[in-house]
Amino acid sequence: MAHSIKISYSACHGCVNCIKSCPTEAIRVINGSITIIKDLCIDCGECLRACARKALGLDDDDWELIYTHGLVEAIPDPTFFAQFGSFWYPDAARTALSDRGIDLLVDESEDAFDLAAYASARIIEESSSDHLPLISTYCPSVIRLIQLQFPELLSRIIPVENPLEIAAELWRSRTKSYAPLTLFAPCPAKITLIRDPIGREPSPIQHIVAIRKVVHTLMASGVKVSQFDKSLPSNWRFATWAIRGGETKHISKFASRELTVLAVSGLRNTIDLLQQLELGRFRGVDFVECRTCDLGCFGGVAAPESRFLSHLRNRHVETEWSLTPERTDELASMYDRTKLWKTREPIPSKQRLPLSSDLTEAMSRMKQMKAIFAEMPHIDCGACGRPSCKAMAEDIVREQGEITDCVFKLREGISSLANQILSLANAQPHTLKKSRI
Amino acid sequence: MLGLSSSVCRRAAIITYEAEMNLVIHGGGGKIIANIDQDSVEIMTVDQGPGIPDVGLAIKEGYTTASDHAREMGFGAGMGLPNIKRNADVFEIDTEVGVGTTVRTVIYFQSGQ
Ligand SMILES: Nc1ncnc2c1ncn2[C@@H]1O[C@H](COP(=O)(O)OP(=O)(O)OP(=O)(O)O)[C@@H](O)[C@H]1O
Ligand code: SF4
Ligand SMILES: [Mg+2]
Repeated sequence: MAHSIKISYSACHGCVNCIKSCPTEAIRVINGSITIIKDLCIDCGECLRACARKALGLDDDDWELIYTHGLVEAIPDPTFFAQFGSFWYPDAARTALSDRGIDLLVDESEDAFDLAAYASARIIEESSSDHLPLISTYCPSVIRLIQLQFPELLSRIIPVENPLEIAAELWRSRTKSYAPLTLFAPCPAKITLIRDPIGREPSPIQHIVAIRKVVHTLMASGVKVSQFDKSLPSNWRFATWAIRGGETKHISKFASRELTVLAVSGLRNTIDLLQQLELGRFRGVDFVECRTCDLGCFGGVAAPESRFLSHLRNRHVETEWSLTPERTDELASMYDRTKLWKTREPIPSKQRLPLSSDLTEAMSRMKQMKAIFAEMPHIDCGACGRPSCKAMAEDIVREQGEITDCVFKLREGISSLANQILSLANAQPHTLKKSRI
Repeated sequence: MLGLSSSVCRRAAIITYEAEMNLVIHGGGGKIIANIDQDSVEIMTVDQGPGIPDVGLAIKEGYTTASDHAREMGFGAGMGLPNIKRNADVFEIDTEVGVGTTVRTVIYFQSGQ
């Protein structure tokens, strides 16, 4: 599993704020700087939020290079339109940005998100009640979390592709163009979605840049988007996917019966919900939408605008929710004709490497690990560069650490050594008279 | 950490739980033995309790002789043995009335379940 977090070793001062923020305990601070355990990172961005020195950043592509290279064919993440002083209506933004050498794929985005919502509704309706609720595939960070910590829920992930990728494929099949596509991404998770796709061939998208960089360039160039022209159709239902609940609302519009849906955002809510789902709660619920970021993708670490403001802007946008029969027919035929909406392969589980490939050896190491852990102070201070005493004990049996990395064990060691020295010092040679000591 | 799939862990937990409850409720206590091999785990419960007169009947869903007391605590749905059978790759009962009962199950780590 790859991740899209970049470490600046010069900025890192070896504090341990990031290791505590990581929900999967993927970070260590060894020899004064950070290492990320690739297999454990879910790209949620929590460590970027926790680091005051900005030692952690996004590993995206070089925006300057892409922008100066000619026309940019861009897939705008739904969060893109609310990053400026007002809400940029997608059609108006497309017109304004075409002068700047950026072609926003608005039509394809509309179609792709409509198609994904339509397909989801169909799949939910066709599933028997013991296979429900199904889980959204939209947040790649949630998918990684499930692969890693909730493998029993993998079969509940709805087999619908991420609409950002569907948009790319629709564009390619319509234009027959080989031009590279660039995604404006709000988070490291969507960068990894493109770079290291799960359960599919290489992504149809070639470049990914943080929305932050694009917004800065555009703002610096003084671009203005003219006010909304009411005569334009307002079918940017896809823009609502940036807010928690947008996806479920969209899906519900295509369902022929009333769906019972849950939408949660934020890491803690996501983990709680998945835990409860694993215990078999939520009978009677049809679909759950989880986003690891607070408020949904507006809370993504690569979105520059205050999530509260962008959320506010999006909520006040008029969107057309009633679908014409022609539109529904069009989607039905896209759904039947193309299989673009369908995930290619089932998503595999991705647990951390076992303590040993040999079961007997792994069990003996686990026993060792428990014994080491029992001797530790259990205060999870982080001074060893590990998120917890348990992680420290595990690193020791994996031969990635020493017991003396624990400052308390080191102190114990020194104190017992000091006692030995003292008793050695007190032992007197027989040739000396007692009084001389 | 051991590299076992979550389904193997889930199945082993269900079997152990159900077999343990039977041991306590019906068998009057006994031993649980787990033998872990490279490619399978064997879970056995052994008791010197009353034994099961009709095994064919006992493994039917809903069959139970649990006391009212056990039922009050939420046991006695007659689902334990069927549940064990469903989750095990090998399922054997060796029992004699008045002597005791041994339930032996094996889960293979690579079985498609
Ligand atoms: N170890 C045992 N010794 C004697 N009888 C047993 C033993 N295990 C099961 N039985 C008999 O088999 C019956 C069925 O067992 P089973 O585990 O399927 O259901 P239960 O224990 O009665 O209810 P539940 O497991 O659903 O709480 C029991 O009621 C009991 O008569
Ligand atoms: S909630 Fe949205 S922005 Fe945050 S990690 Fe998931 S996809 Fe990315
Ligand atoms: Mg029972």
